[in-house]
Formats: sequence, structure tokens, C-alpha cells
Amino acid sequence: MVVEAPSEFETQDLLINVGPQHPSTHGVFRMVLEIDGEVVKDLVPYIGYLHRGAEKLCENNDFRQGIGYMDRTEYLAAHNAELSYVMAVEALGEIEVPERAQWIRMILCELNRISSHFMFLGAFGIDVGVFGTPFIYAWRERETIIDLFEEISGDRMMYAYFRAGGLAWEVPANFENRVREVLASAQQGVKDFDGLLTENEIFIARTKGVGFISAEDAIEMGMSGPTIRASGVPLDIRKTEPYLFYDQLDFEPITANGGDVFDRYIVRLQEISQSIDLIGQCLERLQPGPITPERMPRMLRLPEGEAYIRTEAPRGEYGVYMVSKGGNKPHRLKVRSACLSNLQALKQMSVGQYVADAIIILGSIDIVLSEVDR
Amino acid sequence: MTTDETNGEAVEETPPDTFEGTLWPDVNRALSAVDVRPERGALDLIVHLPRKDVIRGLGMLKHDDELHFDYLRSLTAVDNEDEGVDVVYHLYSVSKNHNLTVKTTLANEDKVLETATTVWQAANWLEREVAEMFGVTFNGHPDPRPLLMPEDVDLSDVHPLLKSHPFAEIDVLQGEGLGHDRDAPGDV
Amino acid sequence: MSTEIFGIENVNVWVDGLIRVLLIVGFMTVVVMGLIYGERKILARFQQRLGPTRTGPMGLLQSVADALKLVGKEDLRPRNADPWTFELAPYLVFVPVFLGFVIVPFVLDWQIRILELGLLYFVAITGVNIVGWIMAGWGSDNRYAMIGGMRAAAQGISYELPLVLALVSVAMVVEVPLADGEVARGSLNLNEIVASQHEVPNIVWQPLVVVVFFIAGLAELNRTPFDIPVGESEVVGGPFVEYSGIRWSMFFLAEYAALLIMSLLFAAVFLGGWAWPAGIFTDEDWPRWAQALLVAGKASIFVFMVFWVRASVPRLRIDQLMGFSWKILLPLMLAQVMVNGLVLVYDWPEIILTVVGLIGIVALFAMVDRAVRQPRQRPASAAQLQSEAV
Repeated sequence: MVVEAPSEFETQDLLINVGPQHPSTHGVFRMVLEIDGEVVKDLVPYIGYLHRGAEKLCENNDFRQGIGYMDRTEYLAAHNAELSYVMAVEALGEIEVPERAQWIRMILCELNRISSHFMFLGAFGIDVGVFGTPFIYAWRERETIIDLFEEISGDRMMYAYFRAGGLAWEVPANFENRVREVLASAQQGVKDFDGLLTENEIFIARTKGVGFISAEDAIEMGMSGPTIRASGVPLDIRKTEPYLFYDQLDFEPITANGGDVFDRYIVRLQEISQSIDLIGQCLERLQPGPITPERMPRMLRLPEGEAYIRTEAPRGEYGVYMVSKGGNKPHRLKVRSACLSNLQALKQMSVGQYVADAIIILGSIDIVLSEVDR
Repeated sequence: MTTDETNGEAVEETPPDTFEGTLWPDVNRALSAVDVRPERGALDLIVHLPRKDVIRGLGMLKHDDELHFDYLRSLTAVDNEDEGVDVVYHLYSVSKNHNLTVKTTLANEDKVLETATTVWQAANWLEREVAEMFGVTFNGHPDPRPLLMPEDVDLSDVHPLLKSHPFAEIDVLQGEGLGHDRDAPGDV
Repeated sequence: MSTEIFGIENVNVWVDGLIRVLLIVGFMTVVVMGLIYGERKILARFQQRLGPTRTGPMGLLQSVADALKLVGKEDLRPRNADPWTFELAPYLVFVPVFLGFVIVPFVLDWQIRILELGLLYFVAITGVNIVGWIMAGWGSDNRYAMIGGMRAAAQGISYELPLVLALVSVAMVVEVPLADGEVARGSLNLNEIVASQHEVPNIVWQPLVVVVFFIAGLAELNRTPFDIPVGESEVVGGPFVEYSGIRWSMFFLAEYAALLIMSLLFAAVFLGGWAWPAGIFTDEDWPRWAQALLVAGKASIFVFMVFWVRASVPRLRIDQLMGFSWKILLPLMLAQVMVNGLVLVYDWPEIILTVVGLIGIVALFAMVDRAVRQPRQRPASAAQLQSEAV
């Protein structure tokens, strides 16, 4: 006897809640997925779990105390965060920064970019499913870099080393040698990662074609950083609007034209190599000299004015919009967070993909929640 | 640091600023239909638009062939206490590589503005944040929920980034004399 | 098999069975704890860490400590979980796996029972644990658990087929010497399968089958890259997310016991068990202790490879996993069975099997590579869709 199966199964969509405590959400982030079987139909992100009111707090702290808050808004790339802030103060106060300080700032920012991208590679490996091997490789590389940072500023993560006008104190005497050691080990780390993941068929099958966003959509959503460069838009603030001495360095923004998760991974992997090269170029040009201007007032009072300073942090455009109405505290400090803008596109990238892909797409945007929530 | 544009300094002796060398001529042409007033900022040109024309003006700036501001960098607000709340848009053109800051002022009693999501999708979350932090209502926003504030806060009268909202009171539990004086000069 | 045990003859068959079962249980528990420790150490070394080092010398007592901890935990059950389904699920996962030990040939003439239909029994009994997974997923009253349970069931059922066909293609060509000097082909009796390899192990004749058995075995064990039911970074823990204490440890134990069975089976069916390379040197079998070492060594190869793959390879997504089984492994195994049949019927020289097997491995890699590097259909961007819709 032949039983005729119903031509249409009555199915029900399932609402699952990912986070805020979850091994894969890179911090306290919550998203509610509406899934049909294994396909994501809708995705609603909820943020704000790490909102600490950094912008309001900076209004009550003077221009030196605010540096510590900027560290904590982007703890994985703290030098880049501090850089935007001190550059905004220098722009408003028309403070000249000595050359040596600029070069050292560049070296530290690029080192931070390397360590942040290694963190991405490690966490991404876990998202894709390799249990821990890329994570430990990443940590091994990060440890060498963070040890160097500890020798310089005394802190492993929240450095508070940049000051308006230059640096807090001179770097240790063996700075150049230490940096070269770190670069050598980072070079090896990139090779290890390349060998482990890039040609792995399962990795390619998981990441190619997943989480696609076109260049037009990315520009429309205001994305930045490696996420938009992977979609083919050569938007790198170090090249388009150079700050510090990036116009003296020789490099091209790294782009890919796939716009999918695999391309974001490749762009970041190649950016580590690019940063190693840039640091090498900076070390050649580093000269002895002062690190703060000769006459720095102890308490900074800035004239009225406003400035929007944008720099290329590892995750994208980290902007600081500072409004000063005289006095020693900013009237308004707005942190333009790269991760917030990148995260807006999560829904667009994930709808129509599988649940397992939604996790990977979230990992590939490389968010750090403290920057999203400030 | 960029060294191309000079900072405009409001000193009475210099002649009125013609804004040469900035985007002002093109912007003026693109926004000829609306009332616009320029100003120099530290890095970019700032233009002030009246509230009723802001979204129209932004659309014109986006679709203009010469200017082509297709990228909304940032959307935020500044509380100027009695003078009202300024909503600030930072625009950028990916193809032409130039920047513009657009400002509009809302009076404190009437903090209502049209949404910019019709011009750029990127404005979505940025406007949600401004709405909850400053109490600005964006008409026509597709998803007017709070973004960062917790769900149990009554957002009809709590707007944290307004100057009228106080800083937290901190109880000094020990060592009454150990707090530092915020206005005294500190170390480098 | 004689009903003598340790030299005592004519023991009651039930008592004999009971003693063997108890010995196997004890052996299995110790070995499973050793496997857990081994995995942690080996995985750690791959990841440039040390693994357990503090509990006992070189961390050897780590598993014991874990077991004691798990035993001491509270036995929780979610309030809305169906009591019978929830509480019986661990048994339905653990017991079939344990029953699989009945036919595993450890050394010559030493098993719990020698069954004529040994392989069939093994495949049939290990299929039952899929029911246990579904019960665990459903009975937990938790969406993540349900998703994990369904994924596990889909995966388990899909990979049974290549696994069974792999075993069938080996069983087909096994040479069994009959009493009258003739040679019969085909046997499901594991003892005979091992004995037939006393000069050449089956891996030489069936290289493709070995690879497919390894892959399908990984899938049956729910191990990386097929561990999507227990995908730690997504549905944390899968169907076992609501279990704690002893119930959870039974799942864990079942997983490693299954690993042990698979590795012993692999050693017996493909690497020659206790018979190879003994058959090259002497006509008689080696002493028992040498056989035991041989089997242990061969099983360790399988176990080490499983751990190695876990440390290096990302996880497959559910649709890729299913596609791989149905579209690549199954056709290859069907082809292999056909070739084996042709060799049997027409009495071709067995070297054909090796050649075909090697070609099959190349074909496997080629198919996977082509499938992976195929450019995926790119969804239209939102702007394009909008402009088309307007």
C-alpha cells in the first residue's frame, strides 16, 4: 500500500537565542535567530551589555585622564585608540609632535595591529571548529608582542602610553632589537597559520561564499577596515588620508574581491605581513630625538573648536570627534566605533545562510564588544 | 598629522574667510536650494543647515556627481545646553576622497528631526543611539528601539549624554582625604 | 571456541560468559580512562601546551580525578524534561556500545563470544545508540539539545551506509580455509577475518576501503570534523547540554568506548589483528602476550590518527557533511563492492583490488577538491535586488 506523503510539511520556525553568555560571541553579545530547519530567516542583534558610558565619563575628565578610557574602549588595539584621542587633542591645541615620537607611535600601532589580527585568527579558528590549535598558535605570537609592550609601558593591555604631544616616557634602550625579535617570531606565526588553515579543504568549504556583502552595500552601511577591503573597496585611511608619517611609507591597501568570510580571513592574514614590512620601514627611519615638545603645559587647556580625527585601527575606522569649548575637559567626545558600523551589516550577511555560518560570519567581522558599546 | 589645510582662526584682524581651497564652492552649488552657512573645522569644512532642510540637503550631497558623498562616517549629537542640541553628520566620499561635516541645531523643546536612513543605511543604529542618549526623535526611523541602554530604564526622561543628566555620585568609603583634586595640575 | 577459561574446563556457559564480561568491563573502564588522558596529552602537544601535569605523576590520575568529580555531582533534570526519555537516554547510548565488545577479537581465541555473524552484529548493535542521541535531544526540553540530537541522527544514519559497505567489501573477499582443503570466500566471523590476514593485511588489498572506513568511523564517533552535534562553539554540548554528573559521564564513556571498539575493529579487519606479521615468520601463532601487544599497537595507530585529525581540522557544516556522505562516499563504496564482486566471480588476481583502491583514493581527493573549490552562487546584493524590484 502506497502512502502518499503530504506535499507540504507544516513546519514551524524556531527562535533561538545566542548569547549573551556563549563561547562564540566574542564578548557579551546577544542575537536572536529565527531559523527554519537550519537556515536563518531573521537575525536581531542586541548590544549594550558592555556599555559603560565612556563618552560621558570623558566629559568629566581632563585631556590626560581621558586616555585611559580610550584604552578600555578597544582593549585589543589600545594604541590605536589612544592615537585617535591624542591626535584630536593635538589638532585642537595645535601641538607639534616631535618626529621620533611619531615614528614610535607608528611602530606601536602597527605592532598592535599584528597582535589584534592574531587574536582574530585564534578566535576565528575556534569558531570554524578547530579545537584550539590556532588559538594557541595565536596566543604564542601575542605573548611575544605583549611582553614587548609591557617592557615599554608597564602594562600588558591598557597602555596609557601616548600623551598629547608625544609619548609618556622614552622607550627602553634595546627597543629596536626587541622589535626585530618580535617581527621574526610574528613572521613565523603567519607561516604557521597559513599552513594550518588557508589550504585546508574543510576550511575553504566552510568559509568560501559564506557571508557575502557587496562593495556597494558595504559602503552604504558605513563599514570599514579589513571587512570592507575584503569586498574590494580599497578604503584604508593610512593611504587615503595619511596621518603620522604613513605618506612616507611604501605600501598598498590589501583588498580581495570575494567579499566573503574567506576573503576577510585572507586580508587580515596578509595585513599582518604588511604590518611587519611597515614596521621594518619605520625602524629604518627612526632617529634619536625628543619625544615630547619642549614646552608642554602641565594642564592642557584647549581653545574652542571641534575636530573629527580618524585613524585606521585593526578593525576599521576608529574616529574621535572632540568638541572643546575652552577649559581642560572636552565638551563632547564621540567615539566612532568601527565595530558598531560593521555589526549593522550582520543581519544582511547572515540571512539565508545556515546557523553554523551565522556564527562564523559574526567571527569574521571581528568585533570587540567594548568598542561597540563603549 | 595632515598639513594641507590651515586651521581657521577667528581673529578679527584677518579679512572674512572666502573658504578657498575647501569644498565650499561645490557644496554651495549642490546645496543652492537650501540655506547653508559654512565654517572651518580643524580638518574638514563644516556646513550648518536649518532643521527642515537637513535630510533634503544630505540627499543632494549624496547624489551630486561632483561631491558624491556615499559614505556616512558618523552621526552624533552635541548638547549645547540652552542653545539646543546639534546633530552632526560626518560625510565622506569613497570615490573622490573628500570629507564634509554637516550640522543642524534643534531647539531643546522640539528635538524632532527626519531620519537619515532614507539617505544612508548606516544611519540606522547611529540614530538609535542619538535618540536614546539625547532624547532626539527621528521621524520615520524603521526600528526606533534603544540601542545601548538597558531595558529597565525609562527612556522617556532619562537621556544620559545630555548635560542636565548628572554624573554618578561616588561614595568615598575610605580615606576621605585621599581623593584627588580634578582641577589641580597633574603629572605628565 | 572451547568453554575453558584460564585452564578450567567445562565451566557452565553462563558463568563463563559472566566472567568474560566482567573482565572486559574492567579492562574497558581502565582503557577508556587511559584514552581520555591520552587524548588530552596528545592534543596538548599538538597545540604546544602540556596537558594535565599535576594530578599524579605526569598527570596520570587526571581521569580518576575527573571521574570522582563527576560522580559527586548533583543529578539534575530540567523540570519540563520528559522523565523517562531524559533518564533512559544515557543507557540507550552506553549499553549498545558496550555490547559491541562481545565480538571484538582481542587475541586468538579470546573473545567474549565468537559469532558467525560478528560483523553484522556489530553494525546492528551500534546503530541503536542513535536512538539514544535522539532521546537525549528530545527529552532535554531545550532547543539547542533538540537541534543537536537531530543533527546527530542525520549524521549517524548517513554515515552508517559507507561504513557498512566498507565492512561488506572486506568481508566479501575474505578467504576462509575449509576442512577439505578448499577455500571459501566471504565471512562475517571476525576470527576468520583476522586469521585470513596471516600473510597480507587487508589494507594492501583495500586501500580505499580503509580511508572510507576511517572517515565514516570518525562520523559515527561524532568526532571532528564531524562533531557538529556537539559543536562546542555553536550548540554548546548538543544533546547533552542539560545532563550533568553520572549521566553525562555515561555519554562521555560511551564515546570513548566506541572509539576503542572502532580502533580494535580497525586493527582486526584491516591491519591483521593478532595474525600479521606473525604469519610471515611462523606457521603457528605467536604467544598471547605478543599478540596482545600487536593488537594494542595497531589500535593505537587508529586512535592517534583520530586525535591528530581533531587537532588540525575545522568542522564540517551539516549540509556539507551529508553531501559528502551521500554524494561521494556512498558511490565510491558501491563501486568498490562491485569491483570486489567481479574479482570474486571471475577469479581475477587480487592485485586488481589494490590498483582499483588506489585509483579510488585519488578519485576521492579529486572529487572533494572539485566540490570545495567550486565557486558558490553569489546572492544578489541588496541594492541590486532593490533596483530590480523597483
